[in-house]
Amino acid sequence: MRVFLKKIGFICVAVVVLSSVIAFFSLQSLKASSFYKPSFLANQVSEQQFDYIVLGASTGLTTLNTKLIDSIAHTNGINLAMDDTALSSQYLMLQHFLAQGKTTKYCILAPSNPSFDSKTMDVSDNDYRFLPFISTSYVSDYYKQFESKRARLLSLSQWFPMLGVTYYNTELFYPSLLGVLQPEKRNRFDDRGNYTYPVIKNSSKIIQSQSNLRVDFTNQYVEKIKRLCEANNIKLICYFSPVKGVTVISENNEYRCINHSNLLTNTMYFYDSIHVNYRGRQISSIKFAEEFSRITNEK
Amino acid sequence: MLFNSLDFIVFLPLVFVLYWFVTNKSLRLQNLFLVCASYVFYAWWDYRFLGLIVLSTLIDYAVAQQLKVTVKPKSRKALLGLSLVFNLGMLAFFKYFNFFIESWVDAWDMLGVEMQVSTLKIILPVGISFYTFQTLSYTIDVYRKKIEPTANLIQFAAFVSFFPQLVAGPIERASHLLPQFSKKRHFNTQFALSGFYLIIWGLFKKVVVADNCAFFVNQIFEGSSGYSSAELFLGALLFAFQIYGDFSGYSDIAIGVARLFGFSLMTNFSFPYFSRDIAEFWRRWHISLSTWFRDYVYIPLGGSRGTIGMQLRNVLIVFLISGFWHGANWTFIIWGAIHALLFLPLLLTKKNRTYVSDTHVLVWHIPKLLLTFCMVTLAWVFFRADTVSIANQFLIDIFSFNGYSLTVFVQNSKSMLFTGIIVLSILILLVFELFAVQKNQKEVVLTKYSALIIAILICFMGVFKNPSDFIYFQF
Repeated sequence: MRVFLKKIGFICVAVVVLSSVIAFFSLQSLKASSFYKPSFLANQVSEQQFDYIVLGASTGLTTLNTKLIDSIAHTNGINLAMDDTALSSQYLMLQHFLAQGKTTKYCILAPSNPSFDSKTMDVSDNDYRFLPFISTSYVSDYYKQFESKRARLLSLSQWFPMLGVTYYNTELFYPSLLGVLQPEKRNRFDDRGNYTYPVIKNSSKIIQSQSNLRVDFTNQYVEKIKRLCEANNIKLICYFSPVKGVTVISENNEYRCINHSNLLTNTMYFYDSIHVNYRGRQISSIKFAEEFSRITNEK
Repeated sequence: MLFNSLDFIVFLPLVFVLYWFVTNKSLRLQNLFLVCASYVFYAWWDYRFLGLIVLSTLIDYAVAQQLKVTVKPKSRKALLGLSLVFNLGMLAFFKYFNFFIESWVDAWDMLGVEMQVSTLKIILPVGISFYTFQTLSYTIDVYRKKIEPTANLIQFAAFVSFFPQLVAGPIERASHLLPQFSKKRHFNTQFALSGFYLIIWGLFKKVVVADNCAFFVNQIFEGSSGYSSAELFLGALLFAFQIYGDFSGYSDIAIGVARLFGFSLMTNFSFPYFSRDIAEFWRRWHISLSTWFRDYVYIPLGGSRGTIGMQLRNVLIVFLISGFWHGANWTFIIWGAIHALLFLPLLLTKKNRTYVSDTHVLVWHIPKLLLTFCMVTLAWVFFRADTVSIANQFLIDIFSFNGYSLTVFVQNSKSMLFTGIIVLSILILLVFELFAVQKNQKEVVLTKYSALIIAILICFMGVFKNPSDFIYFQF
């Protein structure tokens, strides 16, 4: 029995040690690369001051083209939205942005519209992208606050990096290999963080029925983001992105909003029910730039 | 409880320690502990169905005890009938009830008679096909006086519910496994180590090979109409590796876990994709099931004795039942029928035992090996498809040669990554297996360092985020 335990002990320990070493270097490679937004922000974005940043989920990522907005509004913005993320992740991104010593005048909060009232509290699908920064207190505290299995894995990765890296091996380990070869490579977004869905169908149909979605900003992270913005002298603007057949109604005056939920009324502007395509992004961005200019010109 | 779950990672060492260090003083206590551990293992999935295992255990124990003291052939037959009716009845109800109702309605529908019959929402208890066959083999062998019934209920309960092979086999024979519960187990380092290495190899097959293949297989089989012939064929090919990695991986883990507790389970897979004809394939694939059907269906039907017609009938019956055993769907029956049709020419030309003793694969065997693999792969389409019409269309689309595009495998970075992982993992699998075949080994034998490398590959190539259930759990 002793020999058996010794041999399997050797294998188990060797697996843990070697995997941990590989995982550690994998995270270091990702940290030094620009593959995901958190690393991109830290390594490839040299400016320290912005007129605005876009925080959000896939809707914010694919609706607001900061390059187009900047060309119209003569501003300097960056899109830090990440797909499949909740408001909690956007709060984390704001913390991460500030931790890089960067500042902005405006923060455009553009999550999926129902997120403003979501009660779900868990790590988002793409929160692993912050794992290379687990040594910072804001990232480790962020993972610790949730109780799900994957949140615990991410949280424990501070001490056992193999846990997070092996669980998310296709998302972390393989991109880290790419990071070694091409540290400048970005995960499909452009040098200002923008990404667009293509036009895949040319069908043009007027969207007739409109249902209403009431937004009351009950998600605790809206308040947290607002407070963090206030503490850093950042003005918060909530953005309701275009959705097929859904109009967002908000009677809460506490938050300044730009409501584009019913801006596009033809299917030709949509990639799917909640995401606009390239054409929809052009129109939304132009409209946003106009409204944003008005806001910035207000005294 | 899944073998590839965190729960099992905690469960296994705990049971191991209690088994060898706490309950090892008494054989009775050790067996009782195994029964409890097995029931916990099963109840982790759904405790409500534990009653079925207990009931099956009690009935077959009682039947066997009665068979021991009953002399009259009629009474013995009645006792065997009781066991058959209970076990097969349970299986028929939970697994086939809705299938029979739906087939009945469909049959009338074809004759133009509309029937309104509602089916029941029946949950299929995990492993029911496996443990009912295992306990049936016990009563049949006792009836045939091939084995003596055990008077020890705890030993029998441990035999029926032994957790490593409870839910997906190998389907053990009482003559092989039951006596192991009546002997004091002594820890054998080499035996246990071989089990540990086999667990690592089984996990590689399941978590790396099968679960990565599932990424494309699910896509291709769920929307087969939009794919080229080449993509469809590769989808079927990947399913061949998925089901092999999944099921043989489970068997390897089961055999390995059993060895940690001092038990020897039968080999269930012996490198089936290195078969040179269908007959050899069935001597290498799901051996515990095919030998079960051989011993309890094929031979009682007359086996290879009698006229050619009778031989053909026996083979056809066995393959059809074997297909039906896998699931209550016509797709499985057709899958069985295809294998029967592929096997029959070998039987008729008396070439079905060509490779019984010759296990070495030589270079000039490669065409036969590839042909057998292709036939098996195409038959898997029926096994995987949801309906017969989908399977038919899938095969029609393959043979319509409507393009050789492989877009699905390289359409984005994620697909390319999975393609790379799959190719590499299948290569590793085949190299290790070829090595074992050439060395005439019964299983892949890892060394300390190869086990270490495979374990690290599992960590970085395995699917952990969205793991698939073991396919054979549904049977």
